[in-house]
Order: sequence, then structure tokens, then C-alpha cells
Amino acid sequence: MTQASPPPRAAAHPKGRRRAALEPGRVAALIAVAGTLLTATATFTTARIDANSERRLLHQQTRQAAAVLGAAITVIEQPLSTALSVTEVAAPGGASEAFTRVMAPYVGAGRPFVTVSLWQRHGDRLTRVAGSGAEPALPPDGPATQAYLLRAFDAATTTVRQVTVGSRTRIAWVRADPRTGFAVYAERAIPADRRAPVDRDSAYANLDYAIYVGPRVTGDALSTTDVDPASLPLRGPTDRESVPFGDTVLTLVTSPRVHLGPAQSRWLPIGLLVGGVLLTTIAALAGRRLARGRRDAEDDAATITALYEQVESLYGQQRELFERLQRALLPQAHPRITDLEIASRYVAGARGTEVGGDWYSVVALDDHRFGFVVGDVSGRGVDTVAVMAQARFTIRAYLLDGHGPAAALARCSRQFDITTDGHLTTVVAGVGDVLTGEVTIASAGHPPPMLVNGTIAPVDVPPGRPLGTGPATYEQVTFRMPPGATLFCFTDGLVERRGESIDVGLDRLASTLEAAADHSVDELVAHAVQVLRTPEAADDVAALALRRVGAP
Amino acid sequence: MAEFVIAPDGRDAPSLAVSGDLDLADVEDFVDHARRLLDGGAAVIEIDLGGVTFIDSSGLGALVRVQRAATDAGRRLRLARVPYPVTRILALTGLSDLFTERTER
Repeated sequence: MTQASPPPRAAAHPKGRRRAALEPGRVAALIAVAGTLLTATATFTTARIDANSERRLLHQQTRQAAAVLGAAITVIEQPLSTALSVTEVAAPGGASEAFTRVMAPYVGAGRPFVTVSLWQRHGDRLTRVAGSGAEPALPPDGPATQAYLLRAFDAATTTVRQVTVGSRTRIAWVRADPRTGFAVYAERAIPADRRAPVDRDSAYANLDYAIYVGPRVTGDALSTTDVDPASLPLRGPTDRESVPFGDTVLTLVTSPRVHLGPAQSRWLPIGLLVGGVLLTTIAALAGRRLARGRRDAEDDAATITALYEQVESLYGQQRELFERLQRALLPQAHPRITDLEIASRYVAGARGTEVGGDWYSVVALDDHRFGFVVGDVSGRGVDTVAVMAQARFTIRAYLLDGHGPAAALARCSRQFDITTDGHLTTVVAGVGDVLTGEVTIASAGHPPPMLVNGTIAPVDVPPGRPLGTGPATYEQVTFRMPPGATLFCFTDGLVERRGESIDVGLDRLASTLEAAADHSVDELVAHAVQVLRTPEAADDVAALALRRVGAP
Repeated sequence: MAEFVIAPDGRDAPSLAVSGDLDLADVEDFVDHARRLLDGGAAVIEIDLGGVTFIDSSGLGALVRVQRAATDAGRRLRLARVPYPVTRILALTGLSDLFTERTER
């Protein structure tokens, strides 16, 4: 008999769609791993760049040092060449004197050579024609000296060798001129500890070095060094250069004493390492914090969603409850009254959860008399439904007690007060007799019913005050319904529309009823509700039709 | 959605002008405004319905509540510029004689 708009569907909130968030611990670990890799790579790379740069700088400085060494050798050897040239041009027999004079500034303590001597070749034998300085390490008369001197005549360059006398080491030079048969012999001292202090401003300032006579780096061949000879060979990054030295070479081995490049290039890898570790730690902690925050936020979102769904569900349940309450208060079936056809509809308003307070009721007073009520309690919600229930049962009771409609409404008007319950109730109440067709109705502020009887017109009933406005009296009117006539009662939801006078709505109802006047009462009510009720209407609607049938 | 404007010094009485739809959604707001007007202590207060486009049973109920509140406080409520549709509803619901309306010159 009734129809209702469907309850609002709970908004579909897909559950379990929560993205699988990374665990904060995992986030921190990932950041730590990535940061460590980055730090290690950066540190390794910059350290390698620095090492390469150091190696290059060491090589550069070693070459400079070798050049200085080469120049020093030239400077040392120069007097020997000079002496040889002087003996060549000297007067016969004057060679000895010329040699001694030329070499005098170069011999002695603190000078390049400790001992020098001039030799003259006669066949396979050499005789010492002049000499100055200390005792030579190689005994002048020994066979070693003879062999050494002779070999020098075959060599194109100066001949050099290292000689050791006890704990003393010297470097011995021989420069010979095959044309004149003269040879110059010289010895240069090497400090006993082979230590040579490094001049701070020299090419060696930044280097530790060891100079070896000959191509081999051995303890025996060591000429001079700035470090403890016992600590040789030099360790760490080293470089070596060979410097031509007579018929042999000097081998210069170096290692950096200090960082050769700019200081920042040395500290950069360490800085990167420390900074990288710090940043990685901070990033890992921050990442963990963010991940935690996000997880918490997602938990919150999930909670809110769950609450929302719960509220939606409660909302739906509440509306369902109200509707059930509303429908429970409406008659499930109308009383069977001979020659009276009854049809009704209730449609809940579209707005929100809350149902309105419209109702209808038909009651059999005896075999052929009946009472009926259609009413509307203003407002919405459960208290509205409560007032409606009170009004419905009260009026019904008065009608059953035999009171006429006007008397029933007057009695009711004392029981409702808008200042206490907040509601205004409009009612049309009536009693009828199917035998005579006489119907008496009274209205408490309710729209007048339509009488459908060939023509369609509202019943001319003076409206009294709605229930709730205080004690009132009502006028009732009596009219006759011939067989086939229909009385159509309704609530204002069927005729009221925003922006138009209620008269327009009443006229629309009249023409709608006229179009379906020859239908069954059920169809008539269904048609009227379907045509006049707009889906978006907020107000609820109740309609009740009573048709007298049978013989007059 | 109704709007309310209180004019404490109306033409000859404090006035509450209502415009828009006076329905269930706005009745409590309307009653609050009207009570404030009553609290002003004037012997007569006026409800100007000139801007009302629609009134439902809740709106009518609110008018009745304000009327009752005025009566209980020994004041008089007067309606002004009642639009025709509202006049018709008041007549149809038997409320016309509950209210006095200011007559235009």
C-alpha cells in the first residue's frame, strides 16, 4: 500500500585499499644503505683523485729535484774540466803548478772535494804529477787506482765510482784527456751518516729523498739521504728519477714529506666521509620519522573512514528505524466497511534521515459508520513522530467515543501546545455513514479534502486553528456523498511547491484527480501521488481516498 | 535559506525582516531573531514578511511560537507586507485571526 524513497546508501568506502606503507625501520635502513654507498663512493673517488694528484705533484717535484741535482753535478764537475784544459795549455813542466792553482779553491774542508790529483800517462802506467788535499781513499799507488785511471781514458765521459774506506764513503771522479795523456782524479766526501739536511726553500723542501750511485737502489749504493739510512728504502708513495752522472747515473728516490696539493684536497675525502656519515644518519632518522608520521596519518585516515562508515551505517539504521516507526503508526490494513472502498499512500520526504509527521487513519465506528483522520505534524524526526502518534490515537479515541469531528478537535486542542512540544499539527477529521452517504468533517488548519463527484471541488469547511496554538473551537460541515463519489484527503506535501501560491497546487490536484476519476480508488491515489509528488520534494506526503459504492 | 535583518527602529516599531524560504531549516534561527527583538522591550514588534518566498508548516509553527511568546510577555506581534501566498496559507490553516497585520495606507 505504501511506498518509500530508498534510504540513502551508505557512501561506499572501499576498505583495505590502504597502500602498503614501508615500515619506518625499513625506510631508515634503506636511507642508511644508500647514504653509506654514496658516502663511500664520494670518499673513495675524492681520495683517489687526491692520490693521483699527489702522485703527479710528487713526480713534478721529483723531476725538479733531479734537475737541481743534475745542475749540482755539473757545477761540481766543472773545476775538473777546467783543470784538465789548463794543464793542456800550460807550459811544459808547468802543468803541475797550473793544476794546483786552478783546483785550490775547490779542495779542503767545506769545499767540493777532499782530495784532487793530476796524473800523466806513460804507456800503460800513470804517474801522479800533482796533488792536494787529504789522503785519497783509493791508495794512489794501488792497482785499483791504476786500473780505474786507465779505464777513464777509454771512456768518453767522466768516470765515477763510489769508494769506501773503513766507515767513510767517497765518490771518486776521473776525467781523462787521451790526447794529452793527463787525467784528473778527485774525491768528494759523503757524510758518514749519509745525512744531508734539506734546505727549506730548496727543491727538496717537501720531499724525503735518497740518492743512490748507479741504477740500483741498495744500501751499498746509497749516497745521501735526508732520513735515517736505517729506515730506507723510502716507503709509501715514491717516485724515482735518474740523473746522468759520469759514466753512470744517480738514482733519486723521493717520497712526499707533506701533502703536496692544496690542503682542502687532502681533507676533502675525510670531510666527505664524516659529513656523509652524519647526513646519512640524519636522513635515516628523518626518514624513519616521516615514515612513522605517514603510517600514523594513514592509521588516522583508516580510523576516520571506519568511523564515517559507522556513522553512515547508523544514519541509515536511524532512518530505517524512523520509517518503521512511522509505518507502524500507519494502519497496516484499513477496516472492512461495507460499501466503502479505502486507499492510501504515505511517501517519506527526500530530506535527510528524518521522517515527517504525516498520517492517516480510518476507523469503523459501527456497522455502517466510520471515522477518518488525515493529519500533519510540523517538523521532522522522532519527536515529530511521537506527537503524530499522540494526535492520531487521541483523535481516534474521541471519534470512537462518539464525539463529532469538531468536538474531537476541540478536545484535542487542549492537549497540544506548540510552546511545550514545538509542533503545529493540522488535522482534518470526519465521520461518515455509508447508508446515507452523509459525511461530517472539521478542519484544524488542514487543507480541505477534495470531493470527486462528477466535478471536483474542495469541501467548503472553515479551517479552525491548528492543534498546538491553544484551546480552540471548530466548525464542522456535513455533506452527502452519492454512490460513486470519492473523498480525497491529503497533506500539504502533495500541493505545496516553492514559488507558487497553494491555490495553484490545489488546482493542479483537482485536474489530476479529474483525469483519473473513473479509476479504482487505489489507482486514483497512486496516480495522484505519482503525478504530483516531485522526487526532490522535501516534505512527506500522506493521501487517503474514501469511495462510497453500492446502491443509494 | 532565509535571511533575517533586524531594524531596531522600524517605521513605528522594532522590526524583523525575513526574506527567502522560511522552512524547517531556518525556523530556529527565525525564532532566535524574533526573541531578540522581543527582548528589546517594545510594546509592539513587527515581522516583515515582504521577502518571504515560501513558508511551510514549520515556518507557520515558528510564527505561532513567536506570537505566543509575545502574548505571554504582554507585547503585541504585528505582521507586515505579508505576500499573497503566505496570506493564503494563513487563511487555509486557520491562522489568519491569530495575527494582526499592519494595513498599508
